[in-house]
Amino acid sequence: MSSKDKKLAPLDFEQIKAIIPQRFPFLMLDRIVEIQPGVRIVGVKNLTGNEWFYQGHFPKKAITPGAMICEAIAQTGIVFFSASQPGTRDVTYLMGSLKIRFLEPVWPGDQMFIEVTPLRLTSSAGIFTAHVRVEDRTVAKGEFAMSAKPNNQL
Amino acid sequence: MASTTIEQEVKALIADIIEMDPNEIDPDASLVEDLGMDSMMALEILAGIEKKYKIKLPEEELPKITTVNRAVELAKKYVK
Repeated sequence: MSSKDKKLAPLDFEQIKAIIPQRFPFLMLDRIVEIQPGVRIVGVKNLTGNEWFYQGHFPKKAITPGAMICEAIAQTGIVFFSASQPGTRDVTYLMGSLKIRFLEPVWPGDQMFIEVTPLRLTSSAGIFTAHVRVEDRTVAKGEFAMSAKPNNQL
Repeated sequence: MASTTIEQEVKALIADIIEMDPNEIDPDASLVEDLGMDSMMALEILAGIEKKYKIKLPEEELPKITTVNRAVELAKKYVK
């Protein structure tokens, strides 16, 4: 079995928090259900009507903000990068670019599956594709670039 | 592949990423200092060249993408 075939154990919420720096109200990832370093990752975000952003988006009809879907993608990307480049320490993750298409609204009660795969990965950055599903429907897809910038260079 | 074709294609690819008109780019201008390229754009250029010519460039080549002409040289070195 090559390292490319190696799958890691799924991650729960606490394990995710040990990897990503975001905290409430910016945690957009509940679980990692599949992770294959350098190859692919699938994260899950369960959306409830109690999410803070539905208060304002929108008061009369709750719809998940596209920006928060992008945040879920970015956080899945951080977990993927961290697993793929395990020597990474003391960095801040910065999104370099994002090109995304939103195909369907995401509602309270939906469960988002966020799949991220690398197009190009280096030791300090990557370009990725993202594919977000609810049940069997694609709700968003796109590409993004992200870097891991050492904190002493920020 | 014709050398002028690679030159034009790489220039167009870089122009698209740094959001400039290809005709306005001096091929010897510094991508970082003169044309505003950042490290993420450099990676996008590397990945764009790889995708276009179906080649794989070593990560060590990334810092060599300093001008359009250097990027063209890089592409020519790896494109068979």
